[in-house]
Amino acid sequence: MSYGRFLLKRGFQGILVVWGVVSIVFMLRFITPGSPVDAVAPLDASAELRQRIAEELGLNQPLYVQYLDYLWALLHGDMGYSYISGIEASQMVFTKLPATVELAVASSLVAITLSIPLGVISATRRHQPADYAATTFSLVGISTPNFWLGIMLVLLLSVEFGLFPTSGRAYGFIEAFRILAAQGVSPGLDALWQWLRHIFLPAVTLGTYFTALITRLTRSGMLEELGQSYVQATRAKGLPESLIRYKHALRNTLIPVITVLGLQLGTLIGGAVITEAVFSWPGLGTTLINAINVRDWPILQATLVVIGCGFVLVNLVVDAVYAYLDPQVVAE
Amino acid sequence: MSDKDREGVNRRKFLGFAGTAAATAMAGCGGGGDTDTATDTESGMGDTDTPTPSGGDETPTDRPEPTTRDGYLQRANRHANEQAPWVFLNRQYSVYGKSADIEWQARADEFIDAYAISPATDSGDDVVINQSQMDSGLDPQDHRATPTDNVVMQAYEKLLDRDLEGGIVDSLADDYSRQEDGRVRFQIRDGVSFHSGDNLTPEDVAFSINRIVDPDVGGLASPQQDQLAGVTGAEVVDGERAVDVMSDGLNPILFSLFASYGPIVNKSWIQSNDSSYINQNIDGTGPFLLETYEQNVQVVFNRNDNYWRDAAEISSLTITSASESSTRVNSLLSDEADIIVNVPPQEVSRVEENDGTSIAAAPSTRVIFNAMRYDVEPFDSPEFRQAINYAIDLESIIQNVLSTFGDATGQPTLDGFFGYNSDTDPYPYDPDEAEALVEASGYAGAEITLETPVGRYLNDVEIAQAVASYVDDLPNVTASVEQRDFQTLAGEVTDGNIESSPHWYLLGWGNTTFDASQTIIPLLTSGGNLTSYSNDEFDRLVEEAQSLPSEQ
Repeated sequence: MSYGRFLLKRGFQGILVVWGVVSIVFMLRFITPGSPVDAVAPLDASAELRQRIAEELGLNQPLYVQYLDYLWALLHGDMGYSYISGIEASQMVFTKLPATVELAVASSLVAITLSIPLGVISATRRHQPADYAATTFSLVGISTPNFWLGIMLVLLLSVEFGLFPTSGRAYGFIEAFRILAAQGVSPGLDALWQWLRHIFLPAVTLGTYFTALITRLTRSGMLEELGQSYVQATRAKGLPESLIRYKHALRNTLIPVITVLGLQLGTLIGGAVITEAVFSWPGLGTTLINAINVRDWPILQATLVVIGCGFVLVNLVVDAVYAYLDPQVVAE
Repeated sequence: MSDKDREGVNRRKFLGFAGTAAATAMAGCGGGGDTDTATDTESGMGDTDTPTPSGGDETPTDRPEPTTRDGYLQRANRHANEQAPWVFLNRQYSVYGKSADIEWQARADEFIDAYAISPATDSGDDVVINQSQMDSGLDPQDHRATPTDNVVMQAYEKLLDRDLEGGIVDSLADDYSRQEDGRVRFQIRDGVSFHSGDNLTPEDVAFSINRIVDPDVGGLASPQQDQLAGVTGAEVVDGERAVDVMSDGLNPILFSLFASYGPIVNKSWIQSNDSSYINQNIDGTGPFLLETYEQNVQVVFNRNDNYWRDAAEISSLTITSASESSTRVNSLLSDEADIIVNVPPQEVSRVEENDGTSIAAAPSTRVIFNAMRYDVEPFDSPEFRQAINYAIDLESIIQNVLSTFGDATGQPTLDGFFGYNSDTDPYPYDPDEAEALVEASGYAGAEITLETPVGRYLNDVEIAQAVASYVDDLPNVTASVEQRDFQTLAGEVTDGNIESSPHWYLLGWGNTTFDASQTIIPLLTSGGNLTSYSNDEFDRLVEEAQSLPSEQ
């Protein structure tokens, strides 16, 4: 199979997955108890008014008509309007997306910065105190729930020591750079500093699990590579140990690590719900929770569809890159 | 359906068609008080014979017929106490956290009036309020939620307003009177200007009222239409700085409505801007000027130094939000916020024990109750319904489940409301009487299930479990709790068909008008959309009340 055909096939599969996600998201409304009319109608609305609302929302149409209408609108970029505020669902979701992406990228950076050195140290100093410390950290990191870690970090670092703000997002990353460009160095740096202070704790909270996960992955990968015969050969050639570890073994270890990181980025976009709620981070997660609380179906559906598409897209990119780097994948 | 058509299909639009002023009350809106008219229970026109909650389906006939609206409403409340269509529970409190940098008292109507905030220290000059959610846009006539009110009403004002306890006070109207049935006159205050510099005129006032009640005025089908229930329109009075407001019929609670609702906008500003602009900018007459607006993130105001009263004492006001209560508490403890809303009981001690923060609580306008459907066994027996009221130790529930943030109730109307019957007490805890009444009802051995929403009201599930546990302790009744999704439960209660309602369910009802009628009519009269009760005498009392003015 050629690389082009491989991409086409993966792309088609991606479309099927997105269609599945959209269909399930649509069906959610019908398998949960209660009617969307309950979310829209005043609590003391008359039966006639409820009937009228159902008609205006198109809820009196047969299910398949509603489904096809929904698909058709979605294909035209129309995700509907919020039942509560009347704001266009796509506008609401896409204005929240940058905050979530920012948080996902920042937490991935935290994970990469910490986990790879930790994994390498752990592997190269196997059964030494540094290894025990790193493996203990990764065990604790994997076992700690996000919401608990977030609250504890806020209590300790924000409330007790006043080092970071407890919640919110003062500026977006791009907005901070705009200020830098428009208003000069001092306000620009201040905006960047505020951005950093606000994102630090949410990024650490969200990144801890992945730091632990990738530390373990790096450690096991490194150990495997260091036991390979080509490493023995390089040692026999008399190459310095640091060169063997970092140029040869680590490089090979990083291939699966990068794959996992890419996939985790997709998970992070959808999985930041709890962290966003704890830190009142104005992203997709907060939007999703608010929409669930008030049964704002158009917003709920739009958020889930965007998260689903994001996940599929990231997977697609990872697949493409992986296949490019390792042609065996295409052949298989 | 075109995009424009579809845009209208939302909650705002349909709220506009609702039947009573309390349409969003179950969703937890605040309200205002009415001490002009609400404290006259000692006036001799009330219902002052000694209440004796006891069995019997007959309505007492030896009481003289009331002569005033207040008297009829008090009699209706007495009836409700005696016939016990509800398990009367508690009045919910609004619980705030407050920084020592400011001086501020919570209002009964849940509105956080930043004008009433005084700095106590230098850092109290710039105030930050952290509420549970942000506004849904800045058009003051295009929303129905307390969080939005807390934002827009810092910059917009009404004809009348309310004081801390809910009493009616003048605002943009400096006098008002009833001209005849269906017509009242507001004298418009002179020397008031909008933030844009335009002077306030009677035309602005008439336009504002018409924009709310008439979908053809001002390009808005306002969701506040039913808040001004019965109002048909407003017109400028020739030759006077006054506006006449017309109603369909007497409209006994009209002044109370204008103290709680009806923000006044600048006619020319509204007419020259589109909806999107009006929802992101402000031109009001209020004590704060909009500085910056970031939708769903934060709103910043500065003091209006040209305000018609003395300028506010604080310089700036920032309103932000966090849906998690612990996040709000942390922001208060770390000095990022000066006022936070909805502090749950389990967080109260953190706020109280921290240096520089304290709790500010006020009784809200919301009553929590268990409705019992009058048309199904065993709740068709007044004795059985009374028995359930006797079976629960309400004071203990308030003490232990609500950490004392609640008041016991014994009637649908809350203390301080117009029509409240001050001679009607909550049921005492008397399990022996309860057991005897169950026997007398003929329903000994009954098995009943209390359906409760989860997380809708303060500790709702815990309250329901406590109630069911007390009832289950009776030797001749078995009670349990079923947790329900609020929307589903509310859907069954509000569909206009009593037969689809659960037999026994927990709900809360916020009455934003401080008038008994706005609780009693939707919840307990035969035609009420959420009713669980029907009684001819009760309906008659309410009907008589609604045919009389409140001011007498």
